[in-house]
Amino acid sequence: MIRHTGGLIFRALSTLLIVLVIAFFITRIAYRNPAAMLAPRNASQQAIDAIAHALRLNEPWYLQLWYYLYRGPDIQGAPMGIAHWPPALGYSFRKQTPVTDLILSKVPVTLSLALGAVVIWMTLSILLGVIAARRQGSWLDRLISGFAYASLSVPTFLSGILISYFLFFQLSNHGVFWFPSSGYVPLTKDPFEWARHLALPWLTLALAEIGIFQQLIRASMLEVLGEDYIRTARAKGVPEWRVYYDHALKAALNPVITLGGLELAVIMGGAIVTETIFGLDGVGRLAINSALEGDFPVVIGTTIFAAASFVFCTFAVDITTRWRDPASLS
Amino acid sequence: MALPRTPFLRHPGAVAGALILIAILLMAIFAGILFPGDPWRMVARPNLPPFSPGHLFGTDMLGRDLAAGIAHGAQVTLLIALAVTLLAVAFGTAIGAVAGYFGGWVDDVAMRFTEFFQTIPSFLLTVVIVAIVAPSLASIILAIAIVSWPQIARLVRAEVLSLVNQDFVRAARVGGLSTARIIWGHILPNVLSPVIVAASLMTATVILIESGISFLGLGNREFVSWGYLLGTGRTAFRVNWWLSTIPGLAIFLTVLSLNLVGDGLNHWLNPRNSNRGGRA
Repeated sequence: MIRHTGGLIFRALSTLLIVLVIAFFITRIAYRNPAAMLAPRNASQQAIDAIAHALRLNEPWYLQLWYYLYRGPDIQGAPMGIAHWPPALGYSFRKQTPVTDLILSKVPVTLSLALGAVVIWMTLSILLGVIAARRQGSWLDRLISGFAYASLSVPTFLSGILISYFLFFQLSNHGVFWFPSSGYVPLTKDPFEWARHLALPWLTLALAEIGIFQQLIRASMLEVLGEDYIRTARAKGVPEWRVYYDHALKAALNPVITLGGLELAVIMGGAIVTETIFGLDGVGRLAINSALEGDFPVVIGTTIFAAASFVFCTFAVDITTRWRDPASLS
Repeated sequence: MALPRTPFLRHPGAVAGALILIAILLMAIFAGILFPGDPWRMVARPNLPPFSPGHLFGTDMLGRDLAAGIAHGAQVTLLIALAVTLLAVAFGTAIGAVAGYFGGWVDDVAMRFTEFFQTIPSFLLTVVIVAIVAPSLASIILAIAIVSWPQIARLVRAEVLSLVNQDFVRAARVGGLSTARIIWGHILPNVLSPVIVAASLMTATVILIESGISFLGLGNREFVSWGYLLGTGRTAFRVNWWLSTIPGLAIFLTVLSLNLVGDGLNHWLNPRNSNRGGRA
């Protein structure tokens, strides 16, 4: 187990390092003239050159990579690179703050968004998945399947706009102020307001995920229900609801946990559309805004953050499945 | 590729999906005849509601016909989706086939390479790439293809791995055929059916990604795509809801029908592998 975990950590770190290098090259190839993007609109050529010089944008690529890794792309101040202790991601070109601080300030929003959405979509998909598996082939099963297909195919920007129109605009027009249209209130400040502000974004994200998870749970349940130990449980006289929700569901959850980890990682990396519609200032908005502004240390930083959440989520999935089924250790 | 004996028509969902898809394709192909001229010119009073005479989907705040925009937008959206899918399938198949056939260190290197692209969420990566480079039609196609090929590569690799030691491949090798001919003529035809299924489902994802990019305002403004229509209509949603809802429904219908067709193809071509349904 320890050897296995050690191997996983080594693999994860080497993956992140290579993602960093790939992100570095993508930004380097893509930005034709980053200094001009960073300079004020009608800056002189001299001013642009001065920026390029200060940020070492004129150096050859291997020196830039080295500066990025060791110092962070900044000439003054303490080294802020990933190859330095404590490792950091350098300075933002635009805002005079370390990239790590910038990302960390957005994480609470994105994390709240992701976790709330996961809870909602998992609860609903498990419920709908088990019901569909119990009544396989019935009209109810077909109705749920139809809903699942719709959920698989509806773009978040459409569902998000409609949700915000009906549940915010129309409700407020009729004097019901349940949900605000945008903004974020920290959980530590006011838990109720926190949930009230995030309810609509949660619903939007959950709606997009329910389809695939419901279908997955249904298929996985149907597979498990044919196993011998289910027949044994039934023969023993275990109540039917316990057969479904206790015996079968437990075994059917493995693929759901695996896919759930991946989807969670994607949202952590930035649910850009949902964040945009509901005015949430999360990691996704940070990534796209800094890409538009030519702030490429932040672009690389957010890419690394997305990759790190992916690695972390796969790691967590691996640990959970092993803990649920110790037999897979050997 | 031997086709199954049971007719495709046995899958009602897939047939419905195929019909919708054909209708949308026809609309895209004949957009120039149905709505001749520039879809962006002003033709009527602004903010006409849907089902107005002569303007089925109404008009926008500048009096431009939304139905014309939808028909011409279908061309752009479908063209991008098709181009991305072709590119991603070609590249993914090449990488996957080489990795699976040669195995060993070639496989290791190819799969680690693939893994890196899967570590970064695809939508984020596309949006960042499109935001950095100027959004031309080519750069959007390339950016989406860059994030789409890995799943095809993994699929093809797994299929090739299961075929590479079978007798017919060994026979071909003993017979002295060149490696390229074995892969192209003997292995790939047997990989075709899962790739077709994956490609049809991928087209749906590509449409979602492309319209997401346009929705965020990062697309190319010279080409009217559905996502662009939806994004520009969004600001005026409270005045005229149909400006974003109708393009949104067009995207939804297309993606839905592609999903239905993909699943139908899966049931039809790989009846044993399809895991939806299961046994009771």
